[in-house]
Amino acid sequence: MSLYDDLEAILLDADAIQAEVRRLGERISKDFADRHPHLIGVLKGSSVFLSDLIRTLTVPVTVDYIWISPYETPTPSGVVRIRKDLDDPIEGRDVIVVEGIIDTGLTLSYLLRNFRTRNPASLKVCAFVNKRAQRIIDLSVDYVGREIPDKFVVGYGLDYRQRYRNLPVLGVLKPSALD
Amino acid sequence: MPRKTPPPPGVDGIPFAHAAEREFARLLTFYGVHWQYEPTTFPLDWDDQGRVIEAFTPDFYLPDQDLYIELTTKEQRLMTAKHRKIRKAQTLHPDLKIRLLTRKDCLALARKFGWRKSTTDNPRT
Repeated sequence: MSLYDDLEAILLDADAIQAEVRRLGERISKDFADRHPHLIGVLKGSSVFLSDLIRTLTVPVTVDYIWISPYETPTPSGVVRIRKDLDDPIEGRDVIVVEGIIDTGLTLSYLLRNFRTRNPASLKVCAFVNKRAQRIIDLSVDYVGREIPDKFVVGYGLDYRQRYRNLPVLGVLKPSALD
Repeated sequence: MPRKTPPPPGVDGIPFAHAAEREFARLLTFYGVHWQYEPTTFPLDWDDQGRVIEAFTPDFYLPDQDLYIELTTKEQRLMTAKHRKIRKAQTLHPDLKIRLLTRKDCLALARKFGWRKSTTDNPRT
C-alpha cells in the first residue's frame, strides 16, 4: 500500500514545490542582500522545507531549530514547554522563523512572543503554506509559498499523527484516513 | 534573559457552557494567549421602553488581539440565528472583531490538537 493511496488530491507536486521554494529563496536573498539572516526552523514540520530553502539562498545564513511540546502531549503545568531550545542567542540578529504550515497561528504567536523577548535585530516569518481559514491569532507572515484551502494537508514534512512527512508532494488527506 | 509575562488564566472554576469551550480555553492557556470568558454582552434590540430584548454574548475575548470568539458545535443548518446575531452585532458595533468558530472549525481543532471526540459531540456539559 502506498502513502499516495490516502490522498484525495495533490495540491503541489514535487516540481511545483521546488519552484515555490526557489521563488521564496530568491525573495529572501534579495531582501537580505547585505545581511546574514539566521533561520530558525520550527520542528518538526519545517524540516524538509528548511533543508530545501537554505540551498536556494545566495546569502550567508546560519540555522537553528526549536521544538515545543505539542498540545496533545499534556505538560504538568498546562502550558507550552520548550523541548529543544535555540542553541545560540538571537540578540541583535536578523531572524527568519521558518514554518512548514501556519494555520491557527497559536504555535507561531507563542514563538514570536518568546523570540521578541530575546531582542533580535529583526524578526520575519517564512511559511511554506498558509491556511488562513483556520487562523485564530492574526499574524503577519512575510514570506508565503502558497495559500491553501481549508483542507487537511500532508507531505513535504507535514504530518498526520507523525505519518506522511516523507511524501515528496503536498497532498490533501482523504477523510477516511482521518479518524 | 527572556522577560516574564503574567500567565493566562486557568480553566478551573469557570462554568463553561460546553465542553468544546473548556477545551478551547485550555488550548489558549497552553499557548500563552490571554482570554476572558463571556466578558461582554452586546445589546442587539430594545423594546419601546428601552429595555434590551435581544443580546449577544460572545464566548471569548482575547484582549491582546482585541478579538471576540464565538464557538459552536451546532450543525451548519442550525446556524442561521447565530449568523444573524453576529451580523447584527457587527452592524451596531462596526469596530467589533468577531471570529466564528463553526462545527467544522472545532472538528479541525479536535483533529489537530487531539481533543476527545466527546468534546465536539456533547450538546451541553
